[in-house]
Formats: sequence, C-alpha cells, structure tokens
Amino acid sequence: MAETLQLDEFSYSVWETLAKHEEIGLNELAAALKSDQSRVLVSIQEAANQKFATICEESFDELIPSSEAVSLVNEGLPERKALTLLLESNGELGTGDFAKAANQSGIAVNDVFRWGTARGWIERDKQGVRITDSGRKAGEGEKDVDEVAILEAAGQPTSLENAPEAARIKQLLGKRNELAKIKSRNRRTVSLTAEGRKLLESGKISVKKERNLLSAEDIRSGAWKEITLRPYDVTLSAETVRPAKVHPLRKIIEQTRRAYLEMGFTEVVSPMVESSFWNFDALFQPQDHPARDMQDTFYMANPATTDLPDDAELVDRVRHAHEDGGDTGSEGWGYRWSPERAKQVVLRTHTTASTIRALARHPEPPLKTFCVGWVCRNETMSYKHLPVFHQVDGIVIDKNASLATLLGTLETFYMKMGFQQVKFKPAFYPYTEPSVDVVVYLESRGKWIEMGGSGIFRPEVTEPLGCKHPVMAWGLGMERLAMIRYGLSDIRELYQGRIEALEEMALHQ
Amino acid sequence: MRTLFQKRLKPGVDGVPVINVEGEWLNKLLGKEYAVEELADTLEQIGCDVEDIVTVERFRCPVCGNAVEGSLGADVTRRCNWCEHEQEQPFERIGESQVIRLDLLAARPDLFDVGGIARALKGYFEEVVGLPKYDVGTSDLELVVDPSVDGEDCQRPFIRCAIVEMEQIDDATLVALMKLQEALHWGVGRDRKLASIGVYDLDQISGPLQYTTIDPDSERFEPLGRPGEQMTGREILEKHPKGTAYAKLLEDHRRFPVLKDSKGVVLSMPPIINSESTKVSQNSRRLFIDVTGISESAVVKSLDTFVSSLLEMGGTAKSVSVKPLSGETFDSPDLSPREVEIDLESANRWLGLPLDQDSLKASLNRMRLDVTPVDGSDSRFTVRYPALRTDFKHMVDVFEDLAIGYGYKNIVPSYAGQATTGQSRPEDDQSDMFRSVMLGLGYGEIMSLPMTTEELHFEKFKLPVPDSYPKIANPKLKAMTVVRTHLMTGVMEHLRENRRAPLPLRFFELDNVTVLDSQAETGAREERHLAIVEMGKDASYASIRSVIDSLMFEIGATATFESITHPSFIPGRVAAFETDSEVRGVLGELHPEVILNFGLDHPVALAELTVSKIDV
Repeated sequence: MAETLQLDEFSYSVWETLAKHEEIGLNELAAALKSDQSRVLVSIQEAANQKFATICEESFDELIPSSEAVSLVNEGLPERKALTLLLESNGELGTGDFAKAANQSGIAVNDVFRWGTARGWIERDKQGVRITDSGRKAGEGEKDVDEVAILEAAGQPTSLENAPEAARIKQLLGKRNELAKIKSRNRRTVSLTAEGRKLLESGKISVKKERNLLSAEDIRSGAWKEITLRPYDVTLSAETVRPAKVHPLRKIIEQTRRAYLEMGFTEVVSPMVESSFWNFDALFQPQDHPARDMQDTFYMANPATTDLPDDAELVDRVRHAHEDGGDTGSEGWGYRWSPERAKQVVLRTHTTASTIRALARHPEPPLKTFCVGWVCRNETMSYKHLPVFHQVDGIVIDKNASLATLLGTLETFYMKMGFQQVKFKPAFYPYTEPSVDVVVYLESRGKWIEMGGSGIFRPEVTEPLGCKHPVMAWGLGMERLAMIRYGLSDIRELYQGRIEALEEMALHQ
Repeated sequence: MRTLFQKRLKPGVDGVPVINVEGEWLNKLLGKEYAVEELADTLEQIGCDVEDIVTVERFRCPVCGNAVEGSLGADVTRRCNWCEHEQEQPFERIGESQVIRLDLLAARPDLFDVGGIARALKGYFEEVVGLPKYDVGTSDLELVVDPSVDGEDCQRPFIRCAIVEMEQIDDATLVALMKLQEALHWGVGRDRKLASIGVYDLDQISGPLQYTTIDPDSERFEPLGRPGEQMTGREILEKHPKGTAYAKLLEDHRRFPVLKDSKGVVLSMPPIINSESTKVSQNSRRLFIDVTGISESAVVKSLDTFVSSLLEMGGTAKSVSVKPLSGETFDSPDLSPREVEIDLESANRWLGLPLDQDSLKASLNRMRLDVTPVDGSDSRFTVRYPALRTDFKHMVDVFEDLAIGYGYKNIVPSYAGQATTGQSRPEDDQSDMFRSVMLGLGYGEIMSLPMTTEELHFEKFKLPVPDSYPKIANPKLKAMTVVRTHLMTGVMEHLRENRRAPLPLRFFELDNVTVLDSQAETGAREERHLAIVEMGKDASYASIRSVIDSLMFEIGATATFESITHPSFIPGRVAAFETDSEVRGVLGELHPEVILNFGLDHPVALAELTVSKIDV
C-alpha cells in the first residue's frame, strides 16, 4: 500500500464526500459534488484500482408510468369493465354477444381478451367468454399488483425492487405502453474501503491543482508547474465545424480548367447569347435538324436576330458546305440555306460555339484552345436533368492531328482529370468523323462510365472557316461529372442551395 | 444527336427510342451460337449504344392476334400497340426471350433492327464480308401516281414501294417489322412528316395500284383496329387513336392522300393509318411495302433500309413499276450499290494508322464495303457501299468505317503535337483572388442558374421591369424567361432555401451576367459579377462595407463611395462605389419589403460588384 497519494482537487473532494457516507449512490454523489457521473466515476475508478474504494453495481427494473396511467386505472381498465359485463350475465357470454355488449359500452374487446386472459380473469373458448374465480375476486374490487404499482408510483418513475410480485408486474406492463414502460436500470453504489478511510484520515494525501486550460497568467507566473492538466481522451471527436468552401461544382470546373492549362491550352470565352450561325451553321448542322427546333433550343426574343459575320466569303463558304458541299469534297445536305435562320439568336447549346469561333479567328496550327461555360437546352427540370448546365469543350489544330493522336490526347486529359483507366469506343456525333466516346473506370464505384464525346471535325466544318488541317475536339458535361464524383442522386442539389447538401460534398471527391 | 459531346445522364431521355434485339434470333441469322454478352460487346465495338441485356416477355393481343412486347419491369400488358386495343384483363403471355437493349443511333438507320444489325455483325465477325448482295426480281405490279398528291389541296408527292416475299412470318418477325417501322419514322421520317412506311398483305390487293387523294368527308374505308367500321378520313383524324396522334400532319390538307388498288380498296391513308382489310398477319407470305412523304431522300432512305432489313431476315425482293408525276417510269426499289473514291494516304493521315492496301481492304470488307483500286493505282480506291448507307457524304465518312473495321481497340494512342503555352482568361485569374478572399472571410460559395423570371429578377426587388432586357422567346419552363442581368436573385433564393438554417448566413456568388449591348456582335455581352450577402441580426451596412473594404485592400484598389437611392435598399443605407479599375458596385441594407418578398424576416446586407467586363 502506498504511503502517500497525490490527487487532483476534484478527486480529493470526491474522497471527502465519500468519507461522509457509509455508501452512496453514484448519482447522489455526483449531485452532491455538482458534477456529472462520468467525471466522478473516473476519480472513484482510480481509487478502486488501488483498493481504496469499491464500486457496487446492481440492476433493477424501473416502472415508468405513462401520463394517463393513473386516470386509466382509476377509470377502470377495459378487462376490469368487462368483468362487470360478465357478472351481469351470470359470468358467461357467447363470444359474439360479448363483443356486441363490449362495443356498446365502448370497451376495447381485443384488450379484454389479451389482458383479461393474461391476468387469469377470464377464459375463452368456442362456447364463449367466462369469468374465473380470480376474475370474480377482482370484480369485487380487489386491485391487481400492476394497478397498485401504478397508483403508488403516482406518475413518477419508480423502482420495482421492493414491489410485491415484481415479475407479474413486469409481465403485465412490459408490453402495455399506454399504461407504462418497464426499463432495466443499473445503479452504482460507491464507498471508501477501510484502507481508503485510513489513508484519508492519515492526511497523507497531497492535493494537486488541476485545470482544464491554462490561463496566460498561469504560464507567465510559472504556476503551470504546479498545475495538473487533466489528460484528454484524444480518441473522442470534437464538435463538427464546416468551413466556408468553394462550391463543389466550381472545384470540378477548376480541376478541368487546370487539366487543359497544364496541357498548354488557351482559354477562350464567348457570350451565352449566341447566333445560330456560330451555334449551328458553322458546325454544319442542317437548318432543319431537330435540335434546332423551338422545342429543343432557347430562342431569344431580345436580341432576336443578329448580323452574319462580316467576312462575307466565310459565310458563303458555310452556305455552300450546307447546300452542295462547296470545295470540301462533300455532297452537302442538298437544301437551300437560309441566312435568316442563321441570324436567329439562341442561348448556346454547347461551348463548341465558342471554340469554333476561336478556330475561325485562328485557323492555322498550332491552336489548342478550350472553353468552359453555361449551355442551355429548352427542357424541363428533373433530378437528372437541368435545362442549363456547364460544358467544357476543347479543340486542337495540329498538322499531325489524327484519330490516334486524339486518343492519346484524350488519355492524357482524362488521366489529369483523375481517371487511371481510359477506354474508347466508336460513337456518332453530327460534326465529327470519326467520333469517339470516352469510357473511364470509376475506382470508387468499381465500374466503367461513359464520360464524354470527341472526334475529328468534319471537313465541312473546318474548311469553310479557313482551316485545312484535321481538328481534334472533345467535350464533357460538368454537372454529370459532379454527380458521379459526389455521388449525388439529384442534380438540382448543386443549385438549390441547401447549405447542408453543399457542406456534405467533401472536396476530395 | 442533340449536340456534340453531351452524354446523356440516363439513356432513354432526349426521346431517343430504345430497341430490343433478341439474342437467339441474331444467332439464327448469324448461323452461330454466340453468347449474348459477346454479341453486346461486339455491338459496342461497332458503335452501338448498348444499354443492357434483359429478358422481355411477349403477350398476345386478343383482338388483332399480334404479339405484343411487354414493357420493361411490367408483369402484364393490357394494351396492344398494333391495333390500340386496350382491356382490363391482362393479355395472354406467350413467351419470353433474352434481348440486348440498344439506344437507336439517329445517324445509322441501317442499324435500327435485327436484320441490319445481323448484316453488320456478319461482317465484323468475318462470317460474311464485303458488300451485301441484294437481288431484286421483277413483278408485274404497277403503281400510278395521281397529280392530286402534289397540288394545293394535298402535299405528299413522293412514293417508293417494293414487294418482299417471306418464307414465314412469325410473331417475332411481326414485332420486329413494327419496331423497325417505328424507328424509321423517328430517325428518318421525322415522326412521319418527311416519310412514313406502310406494310400490307399483297394477297389482299389487286394491281395496278394508285397513289391518289380522297375527299376527307365523303369516302369511307375500314381503318386498322376497327374491323367492320367504315370511317371517313376526317372521322379517323377525330376519333381513331392513330388519327388524333398524327392529325396535325394533314390538318391543312383539303384532300387526303390514299393508296388504292384496282378494285378501289383503300390500302392506307398515309401518313396516318392502314386499312383493316389489307393488314399483315401470320398467314401473310407476300408483303407490299410503300413509303410516302414530302422529302424524296427520306422516302428513298426509309424504303431501302426497310427492304434491306427484310432481305437480311430471309426475304426476297421484287420491284414494282412506278409511274411518277413527271419523268419516266422506274422500278422501285433500287438497291444497287453506290460508289465513293478514297485515298489511302489521306486515310492514314486522318486516322494516324499504318494501313496498306491489304489492311485497308480487310478493314472495309469487315464493314460490309467493297474496295477496288482505281485503275492500277496503289493509293486511290473505289469504295462501293450499299444504298442504305446514306450517312456517306464525304471521304471521311468512309474513314470512320475504316477505323471501326480496324478496331478502336487496336489503335495505338499517340501524343504528338507542337508545344504551346497554356493561358487562362484574365477574369478567371481575377476571380480566383476574389474567391480566396471571400472564403477567408467565411463566406461560402454558391452557384445559381443563369435564367430567372421578371418577377424574381425585377419585381421582388422593387425594380421596374426594364423596356429592354435579355428575354427568352420560347421557354418550356415558366421559371426561365429572363437571362440574368445581376446576381441578386440567386443569392436571395439561396437565403430563402436556407431560411431555417442557423444564422448568420453568409454567401457569395461569382459568375457572369448578360448585358444587352448594341455594339456587341450578337447584341449582348457578358460581365463577371460578384454578389455578397449576409443575413442575421448583425447584417448591416457596416458589416458588408467591411467586406468590400477588405476586398479592395487585397486587390489593391481605392474605392470612393457615395450615397445613392436604390429601390431595393433602405434609403440612406445604400452606397455605390467606384475604383480606378473596372471594379465598381452597390452595397447596403436590403429594404424590408424586398426581404419579405423573398419570404424572409431577418435583416439582409447585400453587395453586388461588377468585377470585369469580358472581352471576347
């Protein structure tokens, strides 16, 4: 046994209070110390480890009456009311008659059968319902044990330790929530051992000052040397705080921009309000193509129309590409191209409208350029569909551009986007030939996902704009990538602005 | 088909039809036992959009007796898509099969059905390579076109037709025929407007036939699905389900187009419906097929594709002699191959492949194309392709087939290209700085959609609706009539969405707004804006001013402030500021009426900055 003992201030006060009692419930002790049970228990546990204290645990059942319990019992439980019915009919009724009579008196028949039988007050068989001997006694006013317990508890949680026939009470009330709940409780009783008392009385316990946090004064004055800082349970988590953070979609857009910039691409922009000429005609999209229907594309009422590009020759080459292929070696679409339709103003349906403008400004290699921005489809909104979203689009004019270099460029790009495995499959897009779909392996889901489209621009697109070289082009939708990355089930979460939803999208994804 | 490079989130949206291709049937046509998975994988390699492999059930319609495919996930069927019959009692189930579900490729009608797909797979598996041979025999059937189909009262001038004889027509064939017909109506016919297809039992018809018009109110016939009921054209448009569905295609016609036989029996009233008396059943062996429309190329394409697929399914074709409105009588269908010339060197350059004559030939043969050198040349080749490959417009279209025939899997990616320097946009670099300051001040970034309404954009802010602003003409959603000119709507809507969250709320949004500008090329240009909002008991002019001051410090600008009046803010608590750069803005305490208009009841301080003009 230790000759001396060092305790912090709080533990010492625990010892002192304990010494005043033969034994004491932990809850009472904590109340006396104006502390919480767990903190008190730490001190006692420490003492108990050195045999200075004992902790005695016992479990007991507690009756927690419902707020209506007393009035329900006083009014008479359904099975008790049923006794009266039965007694009035010489103690026996056919089941049907009984149910009818019970219904008329507003007595719940099911309760009567369940609890009346459980109490042994009634018997039920094919002949009907019968009162038993104990039922008769009860009918004379003798209360059952649970009724007594409820009345005695008077609405307060009460231990069943000393209650007569506790087992029967538990059986009768255990599943009858309208009356009460029975909960199993633990009680800890604590006391000092003889050694503990002796040590305390001997005055051999020294007390060390204890703090939760040091003050500046403690540090300056050197008092910290005498102060015990209570060790923390460093495995517990602290309060949750959420940072102000970049929008999760913005983060993906920035990652995408960075991938292009690292690959030596120049960023370009153009307004969302765009002419049909650059959005459709310059991309060899026929003027009767369904995508140009009012159904699918937002047309502007203001500004409704715009001029065609100043370069009349360029416009003429585009017209010829549509009508008969012009000098591009193509058959064209074989219809009469309307300048008026090309002048209509739309909300751009793809950012290719922007990169194709860059191509027309700079048709000579090398050109590597990209655009990220809003694109619009005249559609309704749903969990998987937005009428306006972000798209990124990149193009490369290079003397050596080919399908093989397109695949190599896509591989590099998608690896920079964080996908370790990339596959390609043929696809059909209106302005590229050949066209390629990129399929990436998504580590987190363990599956392959189609990510974006790409291809080599058709000569009918590039040649009228003055570009004689193959042009690689590819794009992808940002919101779709965000949905996949953040595991969203509803795309609108990105824009509806529930702060919790945004907070839950961890940026690492 | 909607646009370049936008993958759909879920297949089946965008109105793209899905077709079911039965694995067992494909194997029968291929004459081999491939696993369904292998078939699906190979279809992907030729460019098909395979969705999944599923089991579908077939049911029998008690009225017309045709087999109906159950919809995915449904246990029973109560509606016939042949005759439109509908009943309470589920139809009798007649079997099931494993199918590959494919999204239709609008660009490739030749891959719309099991016949066309079998043709492509035979080549890709190298079972049958080179140009498919389609022999067309002759018949004595004639069709005369009446001038009334190309007049003021009726405009549907083009017609092509064919006879196909089948050894047997079972349920599966009938379903496939109908699906192909639907697919072509969608992919080529523009929902029956440009072209629509009719199929008939030739044994119920006696030639010669006439493509003519009828009076919509006097002549009657028995439309499909209404046995025993004689209806006029107009009655069909008003009462028959198919009629109401397509009435708009004939609504401005004073006479309706019909096909009649020599006895005056109406075969059909295109593009609406066929007649009951000439309908195809499981007993039919000889089919008459017609395509009518307003686009000659769509009519030809539809017929060629339809007939070729029937021939792949084991049919034999015979021609019909058509006497058109003008010009000489011709035989239809004309399935003779077309030609295009390509250059090997161009192909290798375009694709980055090391192809020689042999590998060029092998790759194209695999795609069911024939290749012959041009007069002893070792670099120029004539490629012969079937009539139905109407996607061939340019040499590069052949290059794509060449790449697919070679196999995308076999192409070695290379990363070539001249070194270039990356360059970001100045406004984005500037926004990075604004963003890091705002985040440092504890404001979270939000994003909102750039379209809104007059009410949310102007009226709720007590702003008059301007005479001129970026206005959308045809929005499908009522919530999208204005392209935003400021960012206040988005931040206020975010406050409303989060009105039950603990206060204070602090957000910012950095994005472009649209400004009408007659000097701009399209009449509109964009500006980068920054909106900052705080809601809570301490939100005040002073709190938002602190934010602006710290932003100005970090960007190195000196701002001068002046008191202004602004309907959205409390008088005397709103300021405008300017700097020596493009940065300027408005800040203040939001007017209580505006706060209430957005369903809020706490003080709001708000600032909106123009941070840069965007030069294109």
